[in-house]
Amino acid sequence: MEGNYYVCTGCGLLCDDIEVELEKDAVSKVYTACRVGVAHMKEGSREAVSQVDGKHAEEATAIEKAAEILKNAKNPLIFGLGTSTNEAQKKAIELAKKLNATLDDTSSFCLGPVVEALLQEKFNTCTLDDVRHKGDVMVFWGADPSDSHPRHLSKFSYFPRGEQKQRGWEEERTAIAIDIRKSHTAKICGSNFFQIPPGGDTEFINALIDGVSGKLPKTSYKFPPKRLLELANILKGAKFGTIFMGLGLLYSLDDLDPIIRLVEVLNEKAKGEFHLIPMVGHYNMRGFNENLFAETGYVNCVKFENGEAKHGPEYSTVEALKAKTVDAVLVIGSDPLASLPHSIVKNLLDIPIISIDPCETLTSRKAKVHFSTAVTGVECGGSATRMDGVEVKFDPILEAKRSTDEEILTKIMEAL
Amino acid sequence: MDFGSFLAAPEIKVKIVTYRDIFQNKAMIEDRFGEEYKNTSALIKMDPADLKQMNVKKGDTVIVKNSFGKIIARAEESGYETPHKGLAYMPNSPWSNMLVSDETGGMGVPKFKDIEATVTSAKGAKVTDLEL
Ligand code: SF4
Repeated sequence: MEGNYYVCTGCGLLCDDIEVELEKDAVSKVYTACRVGVAHMKEGSREAVSQVDGKHAEEATAIEKAAEILKNAKNPLIFGLGTSTNEAQKKAIELAKKLNATLDDTSSFCLGPVVEALLQEKFNTCTLDDVRHKGDVMVFWGADPSDSHPRHLSKFSYFPRGEQKQRGWEEERTAIAIDIRKSHTAKICGSNFFQIPPGGDTEFINALIDGVSGKLPKTSYKFPPKRLLELANILKGAKFGTIFMGLGLLYSLDDLDPIIRLVEVLNEKAKGEFHLIPMVGHYNMRGFNENLFAETGYVNCVKFENGEAKHGPEYSTVEALKAKTVDAVLVIGSDPLASLPHSIVKNLLDIPIISIDPCETLTSRKAKVHFSTAVTGVECGGSATRMDGVEVKFDPILEAKRSTDEEILTKIMEAL
Repeated sequence: MDFGSFLAAPEIKVKIVTYRDIFQNKAMIEDRFGEEYKNTSALIKMDPADLKQMNVKKGDTVIVKNSFGKIIARAEESGYETPHKGLAYMPNSPWSNMLVSDETGGMGVPKFKDIEATVTSAKGAKVTDLEL
């Protein structure tokens, strides 16, 4: 296997330095990956399963059934796709157009607004390779990559030697965590951990803006101004600074204005440049956002009507389910019954579900039709967009025993 | 005054913050219907003083409920140095999602990380199974 490196699709980092050993047509050993990546890459050796009403069915029968459900629906929802290749995503967009469907992904209730602002060039951003080579100040804000993107700090943001950072974290990099709890990442940041109360982020941002602008930083929760000024000074001294924005920060803000303003002010006041990167979790959520944006000008929450896309929060998965405006759902690589609040997602149980997923999930168990499909990067290749916007191509490791989600989507489309 | 309330099991009001955990994530990938995922998910981390007030020991089960749902989870000490009475932590999972409000202000974003609930001792009852 020497010299053969594979890509892990376990999270938005798409690590491309993975080596594996095979045994009996399955991945038996995984090197270089984190524990999430190892578990993820060993997943891909299962047999193909298609089910209708929970019972095994021929793939062709299941395709027919799925097409029938979609044809009979007045307003079907297509949801998921954060763990699908660019190629499968484009297929799904085509299908949504053909069906006049509502199309959305998990980004509508996570980092979608930040990716949208990024694609609209509302703030300065950069790639993870830039950070590895040049980054001297990294701020993990409401983000805990040690748990969500396990190799973020070791591969890109803190520990590695970079082209212009040969002395690495010991001397040349400063990692800062701003969070409401002492996460694993916060522990690594040591005395550069700034603990704020839940919901205190907007005030903290405004105080920091004051701090870097030479004013006395104040918060209603009396965060020590001295500490805030210390932080302001580290940020001001940065030559290549990056704020990694996590869900913790996003969920605490009413809108993105304060954080965008902070990045602007830092670009005026700091020695060098400042950037913001959203901590996209699913391996190709950013790809979905970019693909849909290229097609419609929106990153999520759309409804197609005769080829035109309408957009608004009413077309988000959550609002569509709450208002019961959708009457069938095609879920691709996602488990909404597990990841959405039960108070909302219980409405899914009233409409027919078609599920396409490598794993058995709560959603697949409740699905009228289910297809177990190949794990990307293990059983099939393709391309995806890393959390920082870099396109990554990958080859399969194994010969697939099951269809890909792209193949299933194509077959459903043909059967319509 | 309702004297009966003094006799009832002590109930604690908490704000629950959810977070992600690498061990739990790995367990989910391996088997989301397995014991390991349940053990690492149906878990509430609290301030030791809150546990003491409820007469609950580390590892005991507790009932966590609000108007949206009710679950039985294992209680643990958070291990954080700074006291945080009234603030509890849960890994993001189908269990924490049982307690999330359906209020979204029409914007499509549930308050996943901001849950209010009450906690009482479950007196040895088993952790809620993952079913719908
Ligand atoms: S950090 Fe993410 S992409 Fe890299 S090995 Fe771990 S799960 Fe895979």
